[in-house]
Amino acid sequence: MKRFASMTLAAVLISSAAYAAPVELTLWHMEQPPQRVQRIQEMLDAFNDSHPDISVSQEPQSWGEVYAKAPAALAAGAGPDMIFTIPDFTPVLKDLGKVQSVADFVEKLDSEHHFIPATLEPYTYDDGVWAVPLYNMSMNMWYRKSEFEKAGISVPETWDDWLKAAETLATSEMYGIGVPANKQLYTDQTIYSVMANGGASELYNEDGTLRFDNPETVAAYDFYSKLVALSPPDVNSWTWGEAEACFTSKSCGMIMQFSVISTYDTQGGGAPEDLGIAAIPTKNAGGEHNTIAYPNGVMLLTDDKAKTEAFETFVSWLLEPENYGKFLNMEPGLFMPVTEDGAKAESFWSDPMVEKYKPQIETAIANSKNGKLFGFTSGRIFPSIAAISAQNLLAATVQDVTVSGDSAADAVAAGQKTMEEAAE
Amino acid sequence: MRNSSLLAFAFVAPAMLVLLLILGWPLVSAVILSFQDVRYVGTEPHWVGFANYIKVLSGSKLLSSIGLSLIWVVANAVLQTMLALAAALALNERFRGAKVARTWIILTWIVPTVVVVMIWRWLFSTSGGMINPLLIQMGIIDRPIGFFASPAGAFATLVFINSWRWFPFITLMLLAGMTRIPGDLYEAARIDGANAWKRFTRITWPLLKPTLGVLAVIGTLLSFNVFDIIWLLTAGGPANGTRTMPVLIYETAFKGYRLSEAATVSVIATILLLAFALITARALDREEN
Amino acid sequence: MKRSLAVNILLALTLLALVILVALPFWWVISGSFKLPQDIIARKPTFFPHSFTLQHYVKLLANSAYTTYVGNSLIVATFSTLITLALAVPASFAFFRLKFPGRRTLFRIILLAYAFPSIVVLIPLFGMFTKLGIIDTLPSLVIVNVAFALPFSIWMLRSFFATVPKEIEEAAVMDGAPPTVILRRVMLPLIAPGMASVGIFAFISSWTEYVFASVLIISDDKRTVPVGFAGIIGQYQIDWGLLLAGVVLAVAPVVILFAFIGRWFVSGLTEGAVK
Repeated sequence: MKRFASMTLAAVLISSAAYAAPVELTLWHMEQPPQRVQRIQEMLDAFNDSHPDISVSQEPQSWGEVYAKAPAALAAGAGPDMIFTIPDFTPVLKDLGKVQSVADFVEKLDSEHHFIPATLEPYTYDDGVWAVPLYNMSMNMWYRKSEFEKAGISVPETWDDWLKAAETLATSEMYGIGVPANKQLYTDQTIYSVMANGGASELYNEDGTLRFDNPETVAAYDFYSKLVALSPPDVNSWTWGEAEACFTSKSCGMIMQFSVISTYDTQGGGAPEDLGIAAIPTKNAGGEHNTIAYPNGVMLLTDDKAKTEAFETFVSWLLEPENYGKFLNMEPGLFMPVTEDGAKAESFWSDPMVEKYKPQIETAIANSKNGKLFGFTSGRIFPSIAAISAQNLLAATVQDVTVSGDSAADAVAAGQKTMEEAAE
Repeated sequence: MRNSSLLAFAFVAPAMLVLLLILGWPLVSAVILSFQDVRYVGTEPHWVGFANYIKVLSGSKLLSSIGLSLIWVVANAVLQTMLALAAALALNERFRGAKVARTWIILTWIVPTVVVVMIWRWLFSTSGGMINPLLIQMGIIDRPIGFFASPAGAFATLVFINSWRWFPFITLMLLAGMTRIPGDLYEAARIDGANAWKRFTRITWPLLKPTLGVLAVIGTLLSFNVFDIIWLLTAGGPANGTRTMPVLIYETAFKGYRLSEAATVSVIATILLLAFALITARALDREEN
Repeated sequence: MKRSLAVNILLALTLLALVILVALPFWWVISGSFKLPQDIIARKPTFFPHSFTLQHYVKLLANSAYTTYVGNSLIVATFSTLITLALAVPASFAFFRLKFPGRRTLFRIILLAYAFPSIVVLIPLFGMFTKLGIIDTLPSLVIVNVAFALPFSIWMLRSFFATVPKEIEEAAVMDGAPPTVILRRVMLPLIAPGMASVGIFAFISSWTEYVFASVLIISDDKRTVPVGFAGIIGQYQIDWGLLLAGVVLAVAPVVILFAFIGRWFVSGLTEGAVK
């Protein structure tokens, strides 16, 4: 009898514990710098406190390893329930069949918050929406107003202006411009920004064949190699950090980067009002300024019903304007809102750093509206883009021109061949 | 005899078990993979026979990466042996602070490779880097240069960085070998009137050769497999000038999403290395006997 | 024991070159980590710092789980070293002295471990460790480190066994001591330098291992120093001051450790019990 009673008690305890146990969600993300991890933790704490039935935890990962680690973890059943992503990364996991379409959920969110269409486009294909856009990054051209004044130049509008500006800015103390030529993602991004401003934004034809090898691309590579010639001698090994260091230390007159604001501010760049930001110049006058943009999103990796609901609750909460700005400002000046009400959110604009650099950030948000991402444009999205972008084939083609000394036309033709091999 | 076999088994089995589990099984699974068509981890495999081998062997990437790996191994071996031999000979002498120097010679070896990479990336850069200003001040160059700007330059710079990290290890092994040379041999040579150079060529060098032999085998295999320093600094560039075999394997598997092809390249690499290891091991045996 | 002047000059020059090669980069890094951000990235850097700040260290320690990383690394490296020694000593003794079928072949096969590009081991291991339930645990790293340190250790120790004078061993055999006793009482003290070198090798290899630690470990509180360090380098931005402070702190624990035990290790190795 006694035994029975204690067993019943145990059963009640267990079942009530099970009942009350919150739905656990694990989140992987690649925002590993300490201040971002800390900010995300603050967000999670606030969410978990206000939602006792859900418990979200984070595991920061690094972009360097996640391409190998996430598929291995998912295949082995050790993966997360949701993961932050960029458009290039989504096809890798989608091929494993774990990524859930969030089309209905996104539609609901869109009616509330209004996504910038360019942020949804790269996740919408194969009859589904494969991630909820969360934050955007778009590339801009950064300069110093005082240096431009000193050299008597105005903000370049066209490629010709741009090259002239770089030549004028070059002195014994400063390189006119700093653009990367490393076989690395940063170079993919800068060359594509130039391509997108020279009518070469499409990598694919509508039937999925590659159209990289065309006169517009060749012109863009030719122009880019002239910029590289005016850059510091070590641009072959540059990543984003070197470019920022070069600009912030006044060794580079101009750079292309998503945001330099926090580096500029904390590493002695100068007065906030001296920091100039402009759209990437276009090939011909009067053209529309394009740029590369990375709408980061969150993917759902589980088909468990309770977890899916918890995921939707969490993401809805995150996109609420009163929370959203705080989330974006995990790296002030770098992460731009993807929703209309987010772009007006008090929680975004009240950050001290954002207040300080308000004009620059407003320009960056405006520029991000024309954001494109290679391989994810005009609905022409094909699986081979994952291998093309992961192998940095756009950047490799830059090196064929700047390192091997091939003509732009030869390099682009060879680049198309390599891409076709990668796409096989 | 029976007893001894049993004892030997007890002594050898635990180590073998670990090796079999951690290295043997993945080796087998790589061989299996090389006959399949897996692209991403976790997708359904199909058997394709020797298709991967035919594809890999007929492409140009493999051959160039084998060539680069060969140069890599030789260049590292030469530079590291020279540095290490100089260091070991110096540290084997008696001088004030010799003990401290022998302890701290390992300093560059205890630095994790990721950290090594960041140190040199910063030092070689044109923003904040010390190397360019130093060379300018010494009058060697008059404008900052890019150390990774050309394939050959990048390759040489990587060899330098990798050797900087690894030479203390070889120094220590050589020092250990040198201390095993009986001191009275040198005394006898001295009495015979042999000078320092003679003592080195007649005593130190021949008696160090077994140590150097083991180091040559293992050092070659270890430096062949160096991956993270190259990947993190140049990712095989510029213009594929530093794409050694491990870099090619990683790139094929995790950037090109062709896991089976990567496995094929690694099986080929293993066969090459194994042939090298067995030939040198046999040569070493002969010398020992 | 008098050296000629030429040898002395050569010695001095070699030592000077070594100091420059080893110490100069460290001096730049350490002094850099105390500079203000704008001085770290200046185009014309100063060889001696003009500014002094602790801000990078404060930021690093306040914002990252640095002490946790160090603790994990020490645990992993210590256990890897101990287990490597515990497995390698008997195995190498067996390869050296005991007769058993397949001895030579097996001894050569051990080398196969290094003949295999380690990157490819990653994916199968990830799957296997998940099945075993040890993914995202420190023991998984210990096992991997031991496996990679073992072949070298066995080869190295065997060559040390080979240098033990035969007479000493034969005397023990004449006394009728069984192999286990010979190993423990006679051989171990004599191969202490070999054990020291193998111990250092295993410790340093584990301390610096990055590729496996970055993939097999998932949660932040189990990361080792190299992986934790890599994490503070941002994707799109680099805080160079934070990075340099990270470099100093990533190396400091082993330096401190070696300040205490390094002399013992290295003198065991270089002065040798077998002279």
